[in-house]
Amino acid sequence: MNRRKFLILGGAAVVGTYAGTKLQKPPKLPDGPAGNSGVAIIRARSYSDDLVARMLEGIRECGLDVRGKRVLLKPNLVEFDSSTVINTDASVIAAAVEVFERLGAAEVKIGEGPGHRRDTLDLADDARYRATVPKFERIFTDLNRDDVSPIRNFAGESRFYFPNTVLAADLIVSLAKMKTHHWAGATLSMKNFFGIVPGSVYGWPKNKLHYLGISESIVALNRAFRNTFAIVDGVVGMEGNGPIQGTPKPAGVLVMGRDLVAVDATCCRVMGIDPEKLTYLRQAADLGHVRAERIEQRGETVAAVRTNFALIDEYKDLRLG
Amino acid sequence: MGELYLESRLELLRSSQNPDGGWGYFRGKQSWLEPTAYAMLALHGTPDSEASLDRAWKLIRSWQLPNGSFRPGGEVQDGTWVTAQAVTLACVRGLYDPNVTRSVDWMLRVVGAEHSVAMRTASYFHLLKTKLDVSHQGWPWRDGNASWIEPTVHTLVALKKVAQHYPSAELQHRVREGEAMILTRRCSDGGWNCGNPNVLNFDLPSYPETTGLALIGLQGRSPAELAGPLATARRFLAETKSSLAKAWLTIALRFHGENPASAPEDAKVSGDVMLAALQTLGHPAGNYRLLQTGGRA
Repeated sequence: MNRRKFLILGGAAVVGTYAGTKLQKPPKLPDGPAGNSGVAIIRARSYSDDLVARMLEGIRECGLDVRGKRVLLKPNLVEFDSSTVINTDASVIAAAVEVFERLGAAEVKIGEGPGHRRDTLDLADDARYRATVPKFERIFTDLNRDDVSPIRNFAGESRFYFPNTVLAADLIVSLAKMKTHHWAGATLSMKNFFGIVPGSVYGWPKNKLHYLGISESIVALNRAFRNTFAIVDGVVGMEGNGPIQGTPKPAGVLVMGRDLVAVDATCCRVMGIDPEKLTYLRQAADLGHVRAERIEQRGETVAAVRTNFALIDEYKDLRLG
Repeated sequence: MGELYLESRLELLRSSQNPDGGWGYFRGKQSWLEPTAYAMLALHGTPDSEASLDRAWKLIRSWQLPNGSFRPGGEVQDGTWVTAQAVTLACVRGLYDPNVTRSVDWMLRVVGAEHSVAMRTASYFHLLKTKLDVSHQGWPWRDGNASWIEPTVHTLVALKKVAQHYPSAELQHRVREGEAMILTRRCSDGGWNCGNPNVLNFDLPSYPETTGLALIGLQGRSPAELAGPLATARRFLAETKSSLAKAWLTIALRFHGENPASAPEDAKVSGDVMLAALQTLGHPAGNYRLLQTGGRA
């Protein structure tokens, strides 16, 4: 066989396999953990709403107790572009700090390790975190350049390193942004944990996670860190070519819960995305609930707040029927 | 001129060296090779620094692995891109021993994973979701991953500096390949981001700091070839608020024969050790020349 034939046959095999995979109906999801998961959808039409009251309402609905705990807030601070809404809004972070302090947390810190940009504080300035969040610099840690320690057996790796600030937290709160994503379909509370992987060890971007598999890494991070809570900023989300170049999409909600799989599945339904078609959620089905009948919706119903997010051509087939 | 700006940063560096000889990214934190390397370059040749630099070098040397690569810090067991920075430091210190040779061998062995046969085949059939020229060999942050601008730049600097003590056709070839990789990864807006100019047919924007870094890797290329990127770098330097980006852009423009305006004398010193070191290096009286490679290998 000459090189040309080899390449044509090899290419045809790849295309055939790809097409076969795309056309195949995904198998039914497993039942997941015992019991149901509560997810609160709380309306917040703008960032000038009383976000503290809205968050307190959602947290109460989810029965979260943070008294005496060291809480780490993990926003989604990626890049800055004044023409769109890439990052968790600063007012959501400021409200979360106040809420967790008011609820009796022993300590409230903020930590983030952006995947592309190395000047984290400059990004935080652009996103108005320093201007909006009281005592920001005192409670913020750049997770890309924090001290690290290894954990064993992460995603098939015998050792994987995480920031000590993350390892020391009793509760990690994923303060994610509701966005579409050009690799994962959507980026919500679970994928937000990419930002806890330290750039000092894994680089900018954290390319190791791509080689472990994006979906596999999302699930592995959420398997490794189980003491978590999610507050997704969907007041204004991002549709289209997210997570950086999409356009603002007001959804007018905060979505909260202790089961991050269920929170992400709920966010997807709010965005008009079928969560059962997202690879990472299918892979995470043993960690939490994806299926609607296993999620107890509190606050608003999905139907009351659903607003279809525009999807790029690559992901048109994710649209929820 | 420049004493206040320079001295305040040098003072931060002198006062934040850890007892083990290294520097953390921030005062009082674990020592890492990256901030230690920049702090050592910034302090090189300054009065009374010799003993502290010797301690720092001893620590870095202890992080070399049998395969020649260097660990990025005491807690981490695997060798990474910081190997290039250790080699650059060795050159600055005039050390060209077998330990350095092992590191050079390691760097020459490591190739970005996107250059694999499988990826090049996928690229040939337009199966990649990125418009990426995978025909050139750059360097990854970690062995086994794809190549990116920043680790490629640091490795190019190291290889160009060590070249005359390590005559090798392979080294020359990899330097040419690394430069070609950087040139093909340029964004449509004129600069560079981490190294991915397009995803799913959407062009991605460049960043000021990586644009500065890319130009450091391209030292020695003709001014005509780099006219566009240099214009972008000048624009970024005028517009960016990022202190890190300003530092890299300033160093880069100096290497390309320009003399960017100095930062104000009273510019505040942050507690960021790496930033203080890079700002010191980029100052007109700083040690930026230690990263100068004098052109191609």
